[in-house]
Amino acid sequence: MSVDLSNVRNIGISAHIDSGKTTLTERILFYTDRIHAIHDVRGKDGVGAKMDSMELERERGITIQSAATYCNWKGVDINIIDTPGHVDFTVEVERALRVLDGAVLILCSVGGVQSQSITVNRQMDRYNVPRISFINKCDRTGANPERVTEQLQDKLGLNAHMLQLPIGLESELEGVVDLVTMRALYFDGENGEIIREEEIPAEYQDAAEEKREELLDAVSMFSDDLMEAMLEETEISTEMVMDAVRAGTLALEFSPVFIGSAYKNKAVQPLLDAVQSYLPCPTDVENIGLDLEKDEEEFAVTNDSNDPLIMLAFKLEDGRYGQLTYVRTYQGTLNKGDTVFNTRTGKKVKVGRLVRMHSDEMEEIDSCGAGDIVALFGVDCASGDTFTDGKITCSMSSMHIPEPVISLAVIPSDNKAQVNMSKALNRFTKEDPTFKTFVDHETGETIISGMGELHLEVYIERMKREYGAEVEVGAPQVAYRETISQRADFNYTHKKQTGGSGQFGRVAGYMEPLEEGEYEFEDKIVGGAIPREFISSCDKGFKKSLQKGTLCGSPVTGVRCVINDGAFHAVDSSDVAFQLAAVGAFKEGYMKAKPTIMEPIMKVAVEGPSEFQGAVMGSINQRRGMIIGTTEEGNYTVVEAEVPLSEMFGYSTTLRSLTQGKAEFTMEFASFKPVPKSVSEELVKKYQDEKKEK
Amino acid sequence: MGKEDLVASNPLRALGLEKEDGTDGRRVGLVMARAGLGKTAILVQIAMDSLLRDNNVLHVAIGEGVDKTRTWYDDILTLMNGEKKVENFQQMVDEVMKKRMIMTFKENSFSAATLEERMEDLSQQGIFSADCLVIDGFDFSDANSASALGELKGFMEKNNLKMIWFSAVSHRDDDRVSANGVPAPCHELDEVFDTVLLISPEENDLRLKTLKCTAACSVDAGKSLVLDPATMLIRKA
Repeated sequence: MSVDLSNVRNIGISAHIDSGKTTLTERILFYTDRIHAIHDVRGKDGVGAKMDSMELERERGITIQSAATYCNWKGVDINIIDTPGHVDFTVEVERALRVLDGAVLILCSVGGVQSQSITVNRQMDRYNVPRISFINKCDRTGANPERVTEQLQDKLGLNAHMLQLPIGLESELEGVVDLVTMRALYFDGENGEIIREEEIPAEYQDAAEEKREELLDAVSMFSDDLMEAMLEETEISTEMVMDAVRAGTLALEFSPVFIGSAYKNKAVQPLLDAVQSYLPCPTDVENIGLDLEKDEEEFAVTNDSNDPLIMLAFKLEDGRYGQLTYVRTYQGTLNKGDTVFNTRTGKKVKVGRLVRMHSDEMEEIDSCGAGDIVALFGVDCASGDTFTDGKITCSMSSMHIPEPVISLAVIPSDNKAQVNMSKALNRFTKEDPTFKTFVDHETGETIISGMGELHLEVYIERMKREYGAEVEVGAPQVAYRETISQRADFNYTHKKQTGGSGQFGRVAGYMEPLEEGEYEFEDKIVGGAIPREFISSCDKGFKKSLQKGTLCGSPVTGVRCVINDGAFHAVDSSDVAFQLAAVGAFKEGYMKAKPTIMEPIMKVAVEGPSEFQGAVMGSINQRRGMIIGTTEEGNYTVVEAEVPLSEMFGYSTTLRSLTQGKAEFTMEFASFKPVPKSVSEELVKKYQDEKKEK
Repeated sequence: MGKEDLVASNPLRALGLEKEDGTDGRRVGLVMARAGLGKTAILVQIAMDSLLRDNNVLHVAIGEGVDKTRTWYDDILTLMNGEKKVENFQQMVDEVMKKRMIMTFKENSFSAATLEERMEDLSQQGIFSADCLVIDGFDFSDANSASALGELKGFMEKNNLKMIWFSAVSHRDDDRVSANGVPAPCHELDEVFDTVLLISPEENDLRLKTLKCTAACSVDAGKSLVLDPATMLIRKA
């Protein structure tokens, strides 16, 4: 473990799906001697890339779960979090960015700035993460790194400039010209591990000089020395340029762009040099904690390993080694065997084992200091919890966790599957805060909810593969409600005489809408029209009626039932008779009280490039949505609307296709509102048909 | 009490706002005040009055969020209901709010052309066609504000809008005024506006002075309505 924090880099690798993040990480691990052979994501050797540790990931060729890994490059410790590229898994990206000091944004040299690059870039902005860009796949037909750099400027608004020029492109990619040192770099050997440095080829000299001038112009504002040297036309040293690039990058005002092809083993090592030279070390970044003793007053953590310990659990994983908790240490030192306090629960926990993760392998360590990212064993906590050594009571700022947007019912095929499913759901919900599960007491079904169809699909797959839980997936169900809209009287007599003791009870009164609350019962009986012992029977009967409304079979809410008269029979009246009388009375009053069906209305926010605003609003309008407003910020627009939940299923797919995947949405429950007449009629008809079938 | 009573009893009737439906011509209005005196509250009440008269209102907030603007409407409606007790209030709110849309822009993202483009988009898709436009936070100190106003007026006529209302911030240390008493930065633009209201703190009151008004106004220029400082509701003086 390095003590000098200037030699630590905590970085994330983020990008659009299929930009080659995992391939790049594989090369980084190879060049830093962490692995001794390169395996491709969809390689013929069947091994799969190192970071894709889940079977499913290897099969699909996409990274689903980020894994933390560590490597050392030229004396600098680099903690890397490989992050997923699919929009449904953005929480992984967000969690990684929250604890990282810098990031590498990977772009495809052909695809350029794609939807997920935009999302990831915004997330990086949110967490003030300095970033460098790597334009990958320069060996592909149609590669155009200059165009991608322009897109970084136009679409992402970054002050992006290339620090390299490609030598050859597409299948003729040979190497790169380093515009800082003005040397040509070639990558020889079977895996590009031998770097050959030469003079810039004559045919690239003019272009390189021109591009270097542009670069110097762009970075000179971050260094007085460089500016002075340029004005006085004195010698400009490599260090001067590097210092200026670093200053601009750390200030989030400049974004250096590197190029290469991870797959062809070209120019990955210069990217590692850039991580070392231009991305911040933990002390370069200000991280804010909240002092719980001073009413959550903000304070900057010290990054000093000698100060009281503060660390944040940013990821939980329940793997084959047991419960793993990934933590970022912000200050202080954690030693194996130490006792730490969870500031949320106030519980003490002993840290039995401390490990540095390397994808799904690990390395036991004795201690970790400020700025480190490590994993703890056997610590019970939730993602986002803060740990201290007890000398300080604080919490690191909470993480932005989006609300789940889609729900599905899962039905286990048999008892064994039921048990396995419970185990699986328990684990998934602990690992992933965006994945939620609950049992719908009305339908008895287990509902899972998450960030998108693929998100849930992956968990269903994992349930099957890792836990052997065979489940069927039901169609998404909306929980409707019924209510009444006016006061109505009832006066119902339940009379049954079929030989033996009969049943008799009369219940009279009224029902009215209840402004707040689900149900209220009031007894206004005078003169013993209904004996005391049968009053609660009436209440029971009404409650029973509330369970299933007569319109569409949904629960009835917002009703106040008042009884003010009745009759009884000395022999035939009983608890059951009055319950049934109340049920009859309810039915009688209910139909006169103008019952309506209510549906859950969701507050939906769709965020995407302004060019798609019209399409987004159109899609909301088609879904019976009411647009509340729009917020336009630069090239981005957020459309806020209220949309019935029943209309939102499949929206992620629609939105993706409408906006080329460039927009995303979140939704949360807002209120229950009456359904329109046409929908109501449809629901009533469907319910009646179902009843007939039974 | 019903919606109609709420409209009839609104002190804004004094401004003759119900006559902007074309018979009395379109109206461009302006509410001016120093920062923090309640311009948005006035604009929201003007917008609400228009909504209650079954007009579609587009509220454009520059430099504010949707939620904050929405809260203004919720608060004003609740206060109005607190005084008048409207029957089936929630149902009325639901109906009225379907006629309102809020569009917010960052200061540097707003332009008359962008707004026009967005409105046309909404209208062409049959999502929303505004009858009235409220623009809160328009920068009148910008050198291009006169041409932007011209564009918006042209747009108003082209799209048959009944009225556009703006808010503008006046400054204590800038004493330039037009002949009508319209303070800077709108002192050279007052020809553009048919109605100009100025919120002016006087002793314990916030007076709503009518610096300029159309013939439809029953309030003489110079006389005032009052803004209740506790609720920010407009009252008769």
